[in-house]
Amino acid sequence: MAGTPIIAAESVSKKFGEHQVLTQVSLPVMERDVVCVVGPSGSGKTTLLRCLALLETPSEGRVVMQGIPISTPAQEKPVKAAARAVRSDIGMVFQHFNLWPHMTVLENLIEAPLRVKKMPKAEAVAIAERLLAKVDLSDKRDAYPARLSGGQQQRVAIARALAMSPKVLLFDEATSALDPELRREVLLVMRQLAQEGMTMLVVTHEMNFARHVGTRTVFMDRGEIVEEAPGADFFDAPKTERAQRFLQQFEE
Amino acid sequence: MFKYQFRWDTIWGSFDFLMSGLQMTLIISAITLVLAMILGLIIALMDMSRFAPLRWIGISIGEVIRNTPILVQLLWAYYVLPIVFGVRIESLTALVVGLSLYQAAFISEVYRSGIQGVPKGHREAAQVLGLTPIQSFFRIVLPQAVRMTLPPLASNFVQLIKFSSLGAVISVSEITRRGMELSATNFRPLETFTFIAVVYFIICWPLAMGIRWWERRLQAR
Repeated sequence: MAGTPIIAAESVSKKFGEHQVLTQVSLPVMERDVVCVVGPSGSGKTTLLRCLALLETPSEGRVVMQGIPISTPAQEKPVKAAARAVRSDIGMVFQHFNLWPHMTVLENLIEAPLRVKKMPKAEAVAIAERLLAKVDLSDKRDAYPARLSGGQQQRVAIARALAMSPKVLLFDEATSALDPELRREVLLVMRQLAQEGMTMLVVTHEMNFARHVGTRTVFMDRGEIVEEAPGADFFDAPKTERAQRFLQQFEE
Repeated sequence: MFKYQFRWDTIWGSFDFLMSGLQMTLIISAITLVLAMILGLIIALMDMSRFAPLRWIGISIGEVIRNTPILVQLLWAYYVLPIVFGVRIESLTALVVGLSLYQAAFISEVYRSGIQGVPKGHREAAQVLGLTPIQSFFRIVLPQAVRMTLPPLASNFVQLIKFSSLGAVISVSEITRRGMELSATNFRPLETFTFIAVVYFIICWPLAMGIRWWERRLQAR
C-alpha cells in the first residue's frame, strides 16, 4: 500500500467529558479502498467516522487528508482553512438519512452544488438527474422526502453526497435504520459504487457486505482497533479472541 | 332568576356602540401580534446568543414576564411607567406595550423551540456538504422552524384577542370596556356580558379550530 492515504486518522483519541470513546486510533484510507469498520455497539466506530467527517474534534491526534492536517485538538487557523478547502471532498451518508424535508428530492441534490460550488443551475440539475438515474429514482425527482420509503430516502442521500463529487464517502450505519427488505437496494448501490472505484469507509453491521465488498475489515472494540485484515480474511480467520467472540454472534 | 325578563333589545339598541369596541379589540390584537412577533424574535435571539450578558438579559426579561400576572403588568405599565419616565401614557399605548411584551415572552419560546426542534442531523448534513453555518441557518433551519411556529403563532393571536379584554381595567375602549359602560347605564349586565362572551366565542372558536386543522395537516406532510 504505497502512496499517501486519501484520508487518515492519526492516533486519534476522543473523550466526552470523562468518558474515553476512542483511544489512539490510526486508520489510513487509501484510494479505492473500501474499509469496513465493524464491532459491537459503543465501540467508537461512529465517533471515529464523525471525527473523519469533521463533525467531532479529536481530543488527541489528528485527521489528515492527502498529507494535510484538517482536524486537530486546537483547530489552529491553517488547519481550519485546510478543512474548509476539502470540506466537500468528504461525503457522508447518515444512519437516519437526514434529507431536508422542506425540499424536493431534486432540491436536496442541487442545494450544495449551487451554494457551495456556485455551479450554474442547469449544470447542477443535469448532474442531479444523472445521479438519480444511477440510484434508480428518476421518477422521484420532484417528490418530497416524506413520500419516499426509507430505502429510497437513503439512496437519495447517497446521490446527494455524490453530487459534490467527494473523494471519499463515509457511511455511518447506512442500513441500520431500514427494514431488512429495504436494506438490499441500498447495499446494491453501495456495492456498485465500490466497483466503480469509489473510496469508502463503511461503519456497518452488514457482515456480508464487509466480507464480499470490503477491501479491508477493521474490528473495533472499546474505542480501539483490535484487529485489521484484508477483505474476507478477517471473517475466515479472526486472530484475536475478542473478534472471534464478536463473529460468533452472527453464526446462528 | 327563573322569572327573569330578558331584554335583548337593549343590546340591539347599542349594537354599534359595542361593535366599535369589537373593532378596537381586533385592531389592538393585530398590532400587538405584529409587535410581539418582532420583540419575540429579538428575545429569542438574545436567549440563544453566544454573548453571555445579552443571553442573561434575554432570559431575565422572559422569566420576569412569564412569571408575573399580565393584569399586574398592565397596571404597572399604566400607573408606574408615567411616574418613572415622567410622561403621561395613553391607556391604549400602555395596553399595547404591556400585551406585546407579555406575548413576546411566550412567542420567544415558540421561536426557540421551533429552531431547536430542527433535528441536529439536518444541520450536520448541511455542514458535511460544505454549507456555511449562515447558509445552513437560512436554508435548512429557518424554513423548517417557521413552518413549525406558524400554528403556535396563530394560537397566540387567539390568546391576544382574549387578553386584550384586560384593557377594560385601564379604560381602553375595547369591547369588554364598552360592555362595562353599557351595563352601567342599562342595568342589564346579564344580557350585556352574555352577548360579549358570545362575540368572543364566535371569533375565537373558529380560529382555534382552524389552527388545529392546520396543525394536523402540517404534521401529516
